[in-house]
Amino acid sequence: MENRTPELNPTAIRIENLSISFDGRHVVSGLNLKIPQGGPTFLLGRSGSGKTTLLRAINRLNECLPGCETNGSVSLKLDGEWQEAYAPGMHAEDLRRRVGMVFQTPNVLPLSIERNISLPLEVALSMPRAESNARVEQALRDVHLWDEVKDRLTAPSISLSGGQQQRLCLARALALQPQILLLDEPTASLDFKAAQQIEELLDELKARYTLVVVSHSLGQAHRIAEHVFVLRDGNRIDALPRQTFKDKDMLLAAMDELI
Amino acid sequence: MTSKSSFIDKTAMAGSWLSTLLTMAVPAVLLAFLLHRSMPAWSVSLFFGETPPLDAMLHGEPVFDGIWPACVGTVALVALSTLIAIPLGVASGIYLAEYAHGRLGTLFSFCVDMLAGIPSVLIGLFGFSLLLLIRKTVAPDANTGLLLSALCLAILVLPYLVSTTRMSIAGLPSELRLTGASLGLSHNQVVGRILLPSAMPGIFSGVILAIGRAAEDTAVILLTGAVANAGTPGSLTGNYEALPFFIFYLSAEHQSPEELAQAFAAALVLLCLTGVMLGFARLLQARLDQKWKTGHLN
Repeated sequence: MENRTPELNPTAIRIENLSISFDGRHVVSGLNLKIPQGGPTFLLGRSGSGKTTLLRAINRLNECLPGCETNGSVSLKLDGEWQEAYAPGMHAEDLRRRVGMVFQTPNVLPLSIERNISLPLEVALSMPRAESNARVEQALRDVHLWDEVKDRLTAPSISLSGGQQQRLCLARALALQPQILLLDEPTASLDFKAAQQIEELLDELKARYTLVVVSHSLGQAHRIAEHVFVLRDGNRIDALPRQTFKDKDMLLAAMDELI
Repeated sequence: MTSKSSFIDKTAMAGSWLSTLLTMAVPAVLLAFLLHRSMPAWSVSLFFGETPPLDAMLHGEPVFDGIWPACVGTVALVALSTLIAIPLGVASGIYLAEYAHGRLGTLFSFCVDMLAGIPSVLIGLFGFSLLLLIRKTVAPDANTGLLLSALCLAILVLPYLVSTTRMSIAGLPSELRLTGASLGLSHNQVVGRILLPSAMPGIFSGVILAIGRAAEDTAVILLTGAVANAGTPGSLTGNYEALPFFIFYLSAEHQSPEELAQAFAAALVLLCLTGVMLGFARLLQARLDQKWKTGHLN
């Protein structure tokens, strides 16, 4: 079962022969991929190449969309054990609690800042208020948002700036204490400064979580990626060697060739 | 081209303003008219007749020639019928928006639409026939009363609640569902803890419609238990007085201009009573919203 090829980091996510279709239209077909622990692992590719669908296959979020059919296997190393995401005994809710997700546009709930984090804790983990308060603070500190919002925790979350909202979403995912974090173009809707903050955060978080990032930004991949995969037409995925994506010109040339 | 479109713009703007003013003018004129015509009737005896008000309110002393029993009857009727209709209507709306699929869903929504189209006098007749059936079968002594009226009124207002709940949930951004799911909430939890509270303002508009409709309907209660001079409602199965019935009765059968003035006064009281009930509903909704958004009440 264990991968035999020696790698720097052991595998955290193993995708085998994965095919996903929506109403019979194939978006991803026959993909195989091993994502190492830590990261960040970047998934690059053109719009429509199936990156987001591939990412959402890891926490089974595609199932929430109409007409989705998934075949193949996605195994995750959770609590030191291999677990099959699509096994009959695996509850999608349990999986999603342990595999957090941040979306492209900040999707804060129409609640107060504090409630955005405490509501999922209360509902999904049945956590008592006293305990969740501490978690909320810790999560907000983890994303360096605490000092900015500690005096207005009950203010509506939409009163925050785009970058702050995205960090709140990150904090909300972290509060559930996941082991894997999926980020779907987390900086696409942010300005340069806010994007930089998120990048710095990802650099801090990679020691504690396995990070999988879908991105359009080659510059971002160049700066913070540890592993890069390029997805093409939903059926071909290539690993980029480290020396390629750590060199800007070589990265550009490789992308030109691959997509 | 530009001058033409700016002309259209200006006309549309003027039209919108005019429509808004007209809409605001209608209730204002109505209110003024009611106030003017009811002037001669305003006194304590309008409500309590010859009975001392405190005795009537606190000790259940019977009131003759006063609208106090009708006020109590109407409040009881609205409270009972909305208590029956709100849970049923909201639950059906949730089912239609989130769980119903395929033919069953289509059939169900067709039934709700049809129910919305049934005139209230038919629902009153339905209640009356239901009572006849009950008398012939299980309970020969059954009679018209508060509960039967409340049940029929609940059927009358049910479609408003179902449709507004369904529309408000279906109209929420699909992003909310994905967000909830990505945080490890089950579908039921997403519906109950995120979608339903988000849809509350829309559902509340259905509750307003329901309260207003239940408070004013006359045809249903006429056939199912409202009786002149029945007194303050004493039990769920007893007959009762209600303001719309009182207004209907007096405006059709008044013996003197004073009695007609009483009918106008009762209409104004009904309007105020409905307003107060809506205010309470609004207050409750605001509290619920605050509880959801911040996790606690101030």
